[in-house]
Amino acid sequence: MVRQPLRVTRRSLADLLLAAGLAGLAGTVLYPLVRYLIPPKVKEVTAGSIVAAKVGDLPPNSGKILLFGGKPAILVHTSQGTYKAFTAVCTHLACTVQYRPDFGHIWCACHDGHFDLNGQVIGGPPPRPLAEFTVTVKGTEIVVTRPA
Amino acid sequence: MPDRARWCVITAVAGLLWFFSTGLAAAAPAPQTVPEPPSDGCITCHRNLGGRLAAPALKIADDIHVRRGFTCTACHGGDAKAPGMEAMDPKRGFVGRPKPADLPAVCGKCHSSPEIMRRFNPRIPTDEVARFQTSVHGQKLSAGDQRVATCTSCHGVHPILAVTDSRSPVFPSSVPATCARCHADAAYMKPYGIPITQYAEYKTSVHGEALLGRGSKQAPACNDCHGNHGAVPPGVDSVANVCAQCHGSQRDLFTRSPHRAAFESMGLPQCTACHGNHQISRPSDEMVGTSPPAVCAQCHQADSKGGVAAKVIRTALEDLKQSTAAAGDLVARAENAGMDMSDAKLPLSDARTQLILARNLAHGLSLREVQSATSEGVGLSRKAADLGRAGLAEIEFRRRGLVAALVVIAVLSLGLYLKTRTTPGP
Repeated sequence: MVRQPLRVTRRSLADLLLAAGLAGLAGTVLYPLVRYLIPPKVKEVTAGSIVAAKVGDLPPNSGKILLFGGKPAILVHTSQGTYKAFTAVCTHLACTVQYRPDFGHIWCACHDGHFDLNGQVIGGPPPRPLAEFTVTVKGTEIVVTRPA
Repeated sequence: MPDRARWCVITAVAGLLWFFSTGLAAAAPAPQTVPEPPSDGCITCHRNLGGRLAAPALKIADDIHVRRGFTCTACHGGDAKAPGMEAMDPKRGFVGRPKPADLPAVCGKCHSSPEIMRRFNPRIPTDEVARFQTSVHGQKLSAGDQRVATCTSCHGVHPILAVTDSRSPVFPSSVPATCARCHADAAYMKPYGIPITQYAEYKTSVHGEALLGRGSKQAPACNDCHGNHGAVPPGVDSVANVCAQCHGSQRDLFTRSPHRAAFESMGLPQCTACHGNHQISRPSDEMVGTSPPAVCAQCHQADSKGGVAAKVIRTALEDLKQSTAAAGDLVARAENAGMDMSDAKLPLSDARTQLILARNLAHGLSLREVQSATSEGVGLSRKAADLGRAGLAEIEFRRRGLVAALVVIAVLSLGLYLKTRTTPGP
């Protein structure tokens, strides 16, 4: 059997390049579409409000640290059943504060700073109160909003 | 213009002028009223005397006591209703200018009386005079020293302003300068043989910078450590408690550390042995270690048990500090390149929290506690670093994707070009 030499014509090369280009074009269009449809690993949290928790997630007299606007925030479910939210960045040396159920208020472990549930300093070295966020319950969601 | 139209224009213009003039007057802030001094015999006469005799009467209107209805006779005695010099008759109770030694008693007539003081401010303490008697100032005054500070030395006189009045010499940010009037005066302090550098040192301290530089009322002035009416230097065994007014956790850690007993036996003043007193600078990790400027080296040899512990603590702090800094750098680079690094910020923030916590735990000298905090911090900073690296890798991937897309476009363009050349025309 005589083997025919491979003959590449200008037309066949153009077809090949066109097919490869179209395939690549389809890939470059489809890939971002797929990436868009699959939820990204990194959440978008730079908005002015965030769903901090679901109603029932936090028992009374407890707190939760969350990320809000790229900084730690603290959501507190008070013993009285109300929700409060503050920046969780201590005004002393920027440690992340936490809620202490035994104290019933917010506490900074680094230098024993104490904040009441209005964010006011009630003990220790912090020089300023914690900035407060607005908390609203919308249906089953607890939404924390940065004040305008 | 017809007369009627002219009158309409004039009326409209006049109306507008009236509206704006009254509106502006209403919008303008009310002029500050300077309170008029009460008109009694003392003030009426003294205002017209001129010089130093007029000065008290001219400034008295701002006095907190005058604002509460007291008159000159409350402190100076006499009879303000008497028409002439007989107002200053000793028979009418006139005492004139009280001597320094008599001032605590003069002020104490009211300020030591809960019954009187609660009429004006129920929260005001009434033990100032009793505390003053226990102070170095009070004891020296009792011993006959008329040069020491008494009530008016600090609170001023004519007018005496409320402590909350920013013009008062005892307003928190004014206290250091008020104390320095005597305590930074070399000639005045010479007979007492005490240093005069406190104010200069305080001004450059972390507390002085906060209070005087940034106006932070939380920062301590002289009276917050020494007391005000009962001012004394804190004793060696009370220093930690004085500092603990703000730095309670450090006191708690120190009191359960081996340093407490050691300091007591050596007669060292707790916090100030390492941090200094008036010139307290911002603490740094360099304070821990076995070579200067580490304060541990003041007592511990490098190869001693304490020296080894200091080295271990310093190493743990440095490891976490470097780990956190590296993670912070990665996250910042990724963020600057346009990546959303929100998820990396929480562990990074927690790692920094652990570093600050570990620095504080160093006061307790528990290697286990310090290393536990630093280990947790290193773990958190690694997590943040991984997220930072992932962010940078994603940027690299996107850049390669861009190159690939450009190659595809180039190939497609070439293909289209060749196709149009090879396609026969109509």
